[in-house]
Amino acid sequence: MIDIVGIIAEDFLNILLITLGGMLIALGVHLVPVGGAPAAMAQATGVGTGTVQLAAGAGLTGLVTAGFMMNVTESMALIIASGTIGAMIMISVTMIVGQWMYVYGVGCPPASAKVKYDPITKDRQDLYVSQGTEGHGIPTASFISGVIGAGLGGLGGSLIYYSLLSIENGLPEANFIGIASIFAIGLFFVNAVIPSYNIGGTIEGFHDPKFKKFPKAVLASFVATFLAAIMGVVAIGGM
Amino acid sequence: MSAGGGGGGAHEAIPQNKLIAFGVIGGLVGIYAAYFLVDIIGPSMSFLGALGAICSIVWGASAVRRVANYGLGTGVPSIGMLALGIGVIATTFGLAVGGIAGPLVALVFASLIGLVVGMLGNKVLNMGIPIMVQSTTEIAAAGALTIVGLSTSMIGTFMFFDEIVNGVVVAQGVASGVMTTGYIAVIFIAGGLAILHPYNANLGPDEKQDRTLACAFEKGAIAMILAGIVATITPFASGSITILIGIAIWYVSFSGYYKRVKRDAFMVTGSGLLPSKEELE
Repeated sequence: MIDIVGIIAEDFLNILLITLGGMLIALGVHLVPVGGAPAAMAQATGVGTGTVQLAAGAGLTGLVTAGFMMNVTESMALIIASGTIGAMIMISVTMIVGQWMYVYGVGCPPASAKVKYDPITKDRQDLYVSQGTEGHGIPTASFISGVIGAGLGGLGGSLIYYSLLSIENGLPEANFIGIASIFAIGLFFVNAVIPSYNIGGTIEGFHDPKFKKFPKAVLASFVATFLAAIMGVVAIGGM
Repeated sequence: MSAGGGGGGAHEAIPQNKLIAFGVIGGLVGIYAAYFLVDIIGPSMSFLGALGAICSIVWGASAVRRVANYGLGTGVPSIGMLALGIGVIATTFGLAVGGIAGPLVALVFASLIGLVVGMLGNKVLNMGIPIMVQSTTEIAAAGALTIVGLSTSMIGTFMFFDEIVNGVVVAQGVASGVMTTGYIAVIFIAGGLAILHPYNANLGPDEKQDRTLACAFEKGAIAMILAGIVATITPFASGSITILIGIAIWYVSFSGYYKRVKRDAFMVTGSGLLPSKEELE
């Protein structure tokens, strides 16, 4: 039988870091402009897919880039920075290609229906919103918000991955990395779904009124991730 | 909003309690039968694990159907990914600490996280879905059993670690056989899709329970065939029987699904081929 209390006491810092990572992912999801199915028909602002898909795309890229950096260095700051940048690049590419589709394919200007003026460029928005839609495309404020959100998500994801890999155990290295990455992916999905329930599936970015609801999701994600983190640390630490 | 659903309880011909029993008992019996019979009879019995996974997939799809009918606001896929996300956490924990009781421990802890997430959804996020707590618990548990079942049929055991006698690996464990090799990604997507897709594909005012569940059987069979393909290249499980039985289940369930689609459709008619360029001019 494994010494559960001993492992929790020994790795308590890792449990806290994993929980912090989960909360960062939950906050990050609130910043990514997710439009869902309406955006896929250019009837809402944001990228035309669900929160989970966007968060997973950005987060998994973050894990890959963090893992790659882990090959060459053991510096925590570099590994986490690499994961953050990876996720930011991924979401930027997704948003810019989506933007081309909206502008050149659908033929609509990027416009937000939630604010009258773009909070960053100060451009007028309401004149360009087509009737019957809730905006379309990805305006500058949403784009920048999305990059920040993906950065927070990638930061959280690589923090989880790094903390899991800092747990001492007797596993062969290949198995250890496999288990840690699948565990980080599982946590990523849970922490992407909880905030997407909070925002009701669509959000434009930090200028969206729904963004003010983020403390609730961060609290929910704190509880859920803490529970999962204890299980993960006990499972991996006991091996 | 992207999710469908009429904002009320779903009509059901088969009560959910029966489907819970079907999923839990069928899933556990399949997994344990595969584990013991692979030891006694041989690797060819590993297909039983996938049969157990199909039982839990049908249960999970039915729970998704019930909760998503209220309109989640996020689209149905999110809850399927939640199920497998929680499932993979609980499975890693359960199989690593549980030993022979691994699938049971995974089931219990997946239900626990599902319960907490469901309560957070209603109490903290104010989703206001009456069956949210029960459904998230069920979906998470079904996700965990799906992962354990498909893993068992891929490598012939649900033991987490390799069994090593005198320095020779006599049986591959889930850690090295499924997780390190990356087959867990196949399980994640095939199992997740099997749980989320049936309701996502059939939702609408004319959605019927038997049609959705027939679709779930069909998706479960596809996951079984995929597990069989993986099993062909692992030494301690037999792939061919899993693939054959998977194809048979797929054929039967797809015919059943198609029959129900024709039953529920107003009219099924052939549209013919697209007109040629000359005909259009």
